[in-house]
Amino acid sequence: MVHSASLGLAVLAGAMFGAPALGNNPPPLPAEELMQVETLPADYPKSWALVHDFHFNAIVDGRIAIIDTANPQGSLKGFVRAAQFANMLYAPEKREIYTSETFYSRLTRGERTDVITIWDTATLLPKGEIVLPGGKRQQSVTYTGTFQLTNGGKWALVANFTPAQSVTVVDLDGRKVLGEIDLPGCTHIHPTGSRGFSSMCADGSMISLVLAADGTVASSQVIEKAHDIDTQPLFGMPAMVGQTAWFVSYTGQLRGYDLSGDVARPLPAPAHVGKAEGGSPQWRPGGWQVIASDAAGLLYVLMSPKGREGSHKDGGTEVWVIDPVADKRLRRIDLGGLATSIAVTREANPSLIAARPDGQIDVFSAADGTLLRQLGATAAFNPTVITVVP
Amino acid sequence: MAGFDNFAERLARRLARGTSRRSSLAWLGIAVTGAAAIPALPVARAATPAHGGGTAGRVPVTSGSEQDPGDRNSCDYWRYCAIDGFLCSCCGGTVNSCPPGTEVSPITWIGTCTNPADGRAYVISYNDCCGASSCGQCLCNRNEGDRPQVRPQANNDYNWCLGTESSIYNCSLAVIVGVATEDAG
Repeated sequence: MVHSASLGLAVLAGAMFGAPALGNNPPPLPAEELMQVETLPADYPKSWALVHDFHFNAIVDGRIAIIDTANPQGSLKGFVRAAQFANMLYAPEKREIYTSETFYSRLTRGERTDVITIWDTATLLPKGEIVLPGGKRQQSVTYTGTFQLTNGGKWALVANFTPAQSVTVVDLDGRKVLGEIDLPGCTHIHPTGSRGFSSMCADGSMISLVLAADGTVASSQVIEKAHDIDTQPLFGMPAMVGQTAWFVSYTGQLRGYDLSGDVARPLPAPAHVGKAEGGSPQWRPGGWQVIASDAAGLLYVLMSPKGREGSHKDGGTEVWVIDPVADKRLRRIDLGGLATSIAVTREANPSLIAARPDGQIDVFSAADGTLLRQLGATAAFNPTVITVVP
Repeated sequence: MAGFDNFAERLARRLARGTSRRSSLAWLGIAVTGAAAIPALPVARAATPAHGGGTAGRVPVTSGSEQDPGDRNSCDYWRYCAIDGFLCSCCGGTVNSCPPGTEVSPITWIGTCTNPADGRAYVISYNDCCGASSCGQCLCNRNEGDRPQVRPQANNDYNWCLGTESSIYNCSLAVIVGVATEDAG
């Protein structure tokens, strides 16, 4: 009944607006196939990125938006769920996405379940899960260091915070939890060597742990005076150049840590983003994901001209491109407004992706800073972390 | 903050010596340390909210007392000097009481804010209200003194809905717990 009623209305509307008589119309549109669902290529092109939408206004319903930065007409390709202060890992070689999430049986109340969900990159459907014991998964605004891979991608490491700190070791291939490592006073996971990780500690040291085949700690070593929280506090998320992690401090010092061996090795000479005129009072890094790398090993740092104590999450209006080995700033890119998170694609001609506070995403040439395209606020309400396709 | 930082260093060293997790948890709870009252949306204060959020265009809510001046629905209210999250006064609660249907987090972040009316430094407890979904109103984020997550008691990115039945974050309070003493400031 509904169908025929609306058809009648349509005919009436056509007549009223002087449309040609039905007899002169071209053939009707063919019936279309029902029940279709899109799929994605299992291997994402290098112009794609995974954008973590923290979804502040409904944190229980966070998402990972998969976007095509080369297509302004349809940048959003699909979502996977990333519930309640979730974290995400992308494993292109396995064609999988992992989310570490927290659920309550009655959405906001009831029994708590922490779980790693394994998603298929083509269908974006879950293909497995591993329940994490203890209801202790660290919940915070998105940091990459709370969920990481090691052991050639066979294992995942999950940071816990109750506020006691520990790390859960998970065998992704075997779909089981191997164990838990107490890590009092230390935070975040930086994969180190072939099977292990390092963490920054509150006394200014760093600790590196080598894991045994059963997931227990085989050995550990403390690296004293690895960072200076009081005078050069570091933004939490590094940019990776190979297995070297580059962190930037609140005032622009760049510190590198070689994580290729079993024990983290702080690089002896820090670099710096450099200085510039026009700051009020000074240029400083600012935003959430403030540092990115490109395939050539250059660093991109999001900079605010309103740098001061407490400005470090206020976003930035320029990106400064640094060669950290030569300790030299190569160029400055004007973003034409405030951005909060940046990343650089691994395309032949790399793009600089900049996410704005209102969710808009702009794409610039990483080489010369030209604005290539604007994707609009079409993918995420609160883009926190952008992960590019390696 | 120096005194507090030293306090935190002692915590770190104690933890590093291998204090059991159970005891460190209890210790943290008693000390009422911990970081900001909640999840900070990056650049919340600088941003134009995508939806909800923001404190502009609201009817001011004042204490009625000249000694506690300012709009409690504004991010600029003096007690919010280290707050991070949705203001409970915009969410069905008040500056010191949670909205109906939520639970107060017992573990909080303490800030020290100067009251412009009497010039005193007050200790402010930024307890979270938990167990209902994100309020979505009056997002307020100030980061003076905020430090990396490696120093939890000085970081406002953690969800401090800990020690509650549910870790779902709703909004944040700003409760006066006393006047800061000289050596605490």
